[in-house]
Amino acid sequence: MSSDRIIFRDVSKFYGEVLGVNRVNLEVAPGLTGLVGPNGSGKSTLMHLMTGLLRPSRGSISVLGIPPDRPEELFRLVGYCTQYDSFPNGSTGISFLRQTLALHGQSKVEADENSWAALERVGLTDAAERRIAGYSKGMRQRIKLAHAHCHGPRVLVLDEPLNGLDPMGRAEMIDLFTEFAREGRHVIVSSHILHEVDLISDGVIMIHGGAIVAEGEIREVRGEITSHPIQVLIRCDRPHAVASRIFELEHVVEARVLEDNGLLVRTRNADDFFTQLNRIVLDTGVIVETVAPADESVHAVYDYLIGETAGGGTT
Amino acid sequence: MSAATHDSSRVWRGQIWTIAKNEVRRNLFSRRSFAVYLLVAMPLALMVLRALFMPSGMRANSTHAVTEFAEVFHIFFLRFVIFFANAMIFVRLFRGEILERSLHYTLLAPIRRDILVAGKYVGGVLSAVLILLPTTLLTYLLVYLPHGAGGLEIMMSGSSLGHLVKYLFIVVLACFAYGSFFMLAGLFFKNPMVPAVLFLGWEILTPFLPALLKALSFVHYLVSFAPVPVSLGAFALLARPVSWWVAVLALLLSSAVLVFLASLVARRLEVTYSVD
Repeated sequence: MSSDRIIFRDVSKFYGEVLGVNRVNLEVAPGLTGLVGPNGSGKSTLMHLMTGLLRPSRGSISVLGIPPDRPEELFRLVGYCTQYDSFPNGSTGISFLRQTLALHGQSKVEADENSWAALERVGLTDAAERRIAGYSKGMRQRIKLAHAHCHGPRVLVLDEPLNGLDPMGRAEMIDLFTEFAREGRHVIVSSHILHEVDLISDGVIMIHGGAIVAEGEIREVRGEITSHPIQVLIRCDRPHAVASRIFELEHVVEARVLEDNGLLVRTRNADDFFTQLNRIVLDTGVIVETVAPADESVHAVYDYLIGETAGGGTT
Repeated sequence: MSAATHDSSRVWRGQIWTIAKNEVRRNLFSRRSFAVYLLVAMPLALMVLRALFMPSGMRANSTHAVTEFAEVFHIFFLRFVIFFANAMIFVRLFRGEILERSLHYTLLAPIRRDILVAGKYVGGVLSAVLILLPTTLLTYLLVYLPHGAGGLEIMMSGSSLGHLVKYLFIVVLACFAYGSFFMLAGLFFKNPMVPAVLFLGWEILTPFLPALLKALSFVHYLVSFAPVPVSLGAFALLARPVSWWVAVLALLLSSAVLVFLASLVARRLEVTYSVD
């Protein structure tokens, strides 16, 4: 059955008696999805399951309608950049990609063209003829990315793809991922660097202890966390005036005036708050510079859902 | 045949050939081939030493060369060199990539696992044949040439050349048979050298086993093609020789069964380098 989703149905994976992931139910839509969780939470296991490098102990997986145990169909659509930092002995950058594309059934000419195009996209053309064994960590990361996308897959699964890249390299790769996502592909990126996931992701999957703790768009996920009131940061010319009115609202639990004309409000009902804030602004005549959610980020959501129990592992 | 079927068969034939070529390249030209070359150099070195230190009386007696080669082939070449060369080549087809932590690249290609197994097996057979046939040929030359003109005359005679063809045929069949066993062992066992040594023990003991058990070894069928029989001692039990077509069929069928089993194991193969 054709589908544009990646679907996990009640998937568990055990390594002997050790739990990898437990009863995962997921539906991933096209776009850029961040997979976030502390070390050992099951991110790589989930990606391995998606690509058939691991078999589920129970449950079923489908990637755009194809089960991962049909590699001959799956890998025409999927590219996977793993965390493994090893390569076939003696390979050069270009020979590694040509070899990959030959296995895809491409002719020599076609494989050559696509290999150079992939190397160009990751900025490795100068080092194409050099042995991968002599590449720096960042270059090895780039060649793995080139390997994952050289055949033009519809789904890109990237396990910690920004590891080892310098800041410029990270920015280039982030641009590349967003470009892939804009082209209508699935791009699933695992990372422990939350602000990067926050920058690039349309949606997020949070995993902890082998279980999915949250899934969806950041705003939706944040909205479902009722135990922590939503924080809104307002910058205006008279924050004290706004604060005094805001205190009257029933759902507001805190309003704190900050330096530089800032006002941080914590509310249990964001929708009502924004409606009532409009009225307050009109009534008081304050000049508002910005109104923005202060904790509608992957970082904040991660802290609320995982950080308190996990005690680190991400930055 | 529909166009789609024809197209998919063209794709998998291409994939088998691509994988096989890679394996040949790795087995013949990489660092990992060094041990195999060292192994196959042993009979050649022995034959060179034999030629250098051969007593003149023996050198003049060229008729012995036929039995000398038969003994070297049966006792040393077939049961040791061919066996371990195949073990080294075929065990590493999968295990080598697991140890190198690069198997996932192959598994991330759009290839059916049984096609992958077939490609690696073909590559292994080609590599083993490309290494072992010239070695057999050189050993053959090094047995006959020290006998001078008499040795050369016997070597080039019709019957000796017929013998050579039969020996080469045994080498090719041995690569098919042992190769399938070792490829399966490489997929199934974390340390395939343990079953390899046990299997070697079984193959060496074969002449001393009753007929029913002899049938469960490869060497029993392989020696049935040998043009010159060799006595393996007073305790060897004689069995009715196997006809050539039964031997070929038994070796090829058992190889096919082992390759099929390997493809079943490959279908369930997971990438867990940390525990491999």
